[in-house]
Amino acid sequence: MMRNFLFIASALIGILVFASPFYSAVVIDIDKPGGRIVPIAIAPLRNLSSGDDRSGISAGVADAIANDMKLSGWFRVIDRSAYIEGPQSGITPDSFDFKNWTTIGAETLVKGGFSVQGDELTVELRLFDVYQGKQLVGKKYTGRARDFRRIAHRFSDEIINQLTGTPGPFNTRLAYVSNGGSALKEVYFSHLDGMDKFPVTSNKSINLSPAWSPDGRMLLYTSYGEGRRSLYLYDLTTGRHTPIGEQNGSSIGGRWSPDGQRIAVSFERGGNTDIYILDRSGRTIRRLTEDRGIDVSPAWSPDGNRLAFVSNRSGNPQIYLLDIATGNARRLTFSGSYNTSPDWSPKGDKIAYTGRVSGRFQIFTISAQGGEPQQLTSGTGDNEDPSWAPDSRFIAFASNRGGGRYHLYMMRENGENQQRLTASGGDDTNPSWSPRLE
Amino acid sequence: MAKLNAFSYIVIVVFALTLAACSKTAAPTGPGGSGPGTRGPTGQPGPNDRTGSADLGTGGGSLSEAGKGQSTETPRTSPLQEVYFGFDSFDLSNDARATLKRNADWLKTNQSVRVEIEGHCDDRGTNEYNLALGAKRAQAAKDYLVTLGIPSERLSTISYGEELPVCREQTEDCWQKNRRARFVVSTGRPSS
Repeated sequence: MMRNFLFIASALIGILVFASPFYSAVVIDIDKPGGRIVPIAIAPLRNLSSGDDRSGISAGVADAIANDMKLSGWFRVIDRSAYIEGPQSGITPDSFDFKNWTTIGAETLVKGGFSVQGDELTVELRLFDVYQGKQLVGKKYTGRARDFRRIAHRFSDEIINQLTGTPGPFNTRLAYVSNGGSALKEVYFSHLDGMDKFPVTSNKSINLSPAWSPDGRMLLYTSYGEGRRSLYLYDLTTGRHTPIGEQNGSSIGGRWSPDGQRIAVSFERGGNTDIYILDRSGRTIRRLTEDRGIDVSPAWSPDGNRLAFVSNRSGNPQIYLLDIATGNARRLTFSGSYNTSPDWSPKGDKIAYTGRVSGRFQIFTISAQGGEPQQLTSGTGDNEDPSWAPDSRFIAFASNRGGGRYHLYMMRENGENQQRLTASGGDDTNPSWSPRLE
Repeated sequence: MAKLNAFSYIVIVVFALTLAACSKTAAPTGPGGSGPGTRGPTGQPGPNDRTGSADLGTGGGSLSEAGKGQSTETPRTSPLQEVYFGFDSFDLSNDARATLKRNADWLKTNQSVRVEIEGHCDDRGTNEYNLALGAKRAQAAKDYLVTLGIPSERLSTISYGEELPVCREQTEDCWQKNRRARFVVSTGRPSS
């Protein structure tokens, strides 16, 4: 178990920024739904060292960036077969002809190079505005050779930052539950594109509800590994699993507060489920609900002062907002008879949730002030368990559309550009979107 | 890292045992040996009075069976049959009460038997809410058995929500089968 997590612990990716005047002629207006899509070309990286590209870094970095651009929905990636230049052509602004790229319809262009010395990788990546013939940003990254995809995702977020004003969500991980087609469930995490998939649990039991710590270094999850349900803490740095909180089989879920100091969890006792606050070592410090109904699935507001949660105190499950200081709860959802699994946007303005409509489950968002919900998914199949990206512009969820297994999907927070992320042989469910990785 | 007090040592030991043991079987495979309760109320052995392990499930309950790749269905020959619920409900129907009455009668003639009542849900809706709903179902069945005279010390409850279904088809027939409370014998040793 120990050796497997070491590659995650190698978070030592250094960055140098090339001095370049900020120039942005290509700006993506993210406030316009269905807005213009920007054509982008991403050239395979030039090998700047003398050795062979044994790890496939040249194409691997370009592929990862291209996939991120596709997932964002803001870009159209021009197919590599159309590129005029070869991979060893120049990568600095004065060393190649921008006409080679305007000709094929690119408005933006990514070029770069890499060199590997033993296990140490250096990558430089540059984003160009093709029409203006200018570099928008250049970065140099160092890390371990196997981390080349992490570097690619960092630059994807930088591309999006240059063109929208906010960094993208791709240097992140999804934690989720996977059953591999069997009756048992394990927790995993991977990058959004499914790569670098890592098993958090492998105890041949039922493992559920992964939730990231605010620094992305720990996961909470719920496990029947000992026969009864218990909350566990997994530390990515040490690889250790620690049971926390009540050990009597009563835990359901568990999520860290945004400041990392508290955990909101549900405990079930005598058939009744209520919401509690624990300190970070798992000690119960407060009980927040006391009614006879089901109160479950707390989700923190970004300021840590409120929780969105599910209660059936009105007769069927609805989303409520609870003020932690006063303990007062007010109902948020009034449409539909079954609304569950809330997640609060990092920006604080909206809550995403799962709602049942016409017998199917769909993803909705609603303002934290209340009001009319927005339905984001539709059609056949069930869509469940939304999880916000750290930039509040995307939502991950699970869907069994197309019949058969559940897979993970992501979409823009207005429902546009729904794309599948995973394609394992079983069901992938319950995504939890990590904060930005360091 | 917090300083290691005695509690922390216990936690570490428990956790080490967890890692070593993987999924722990919750119970032996049915009542052991020649336990009592092989006769029906009339004194004659009845069709439900056999207490061989085959009649009460292959053993250990749904989690243990799933871990072995086995079916989690209660055999039709089991003396403790399942009760079923409506969508998003934990109300006991007349059929459910009748089944619980039969289960209670059997438990009264098999006094040493302890039962774990599992609460389950169909796969619609979200996992956490269904864990809570399954708990309501298990508790509803337990509470009714207690009113029928079964001591509550003989009954434990656990919810599996939608996690351990008996079928996976997206049909009303399958969903109904999963909305259930299941009765698993948890120990078989005669207490006297």
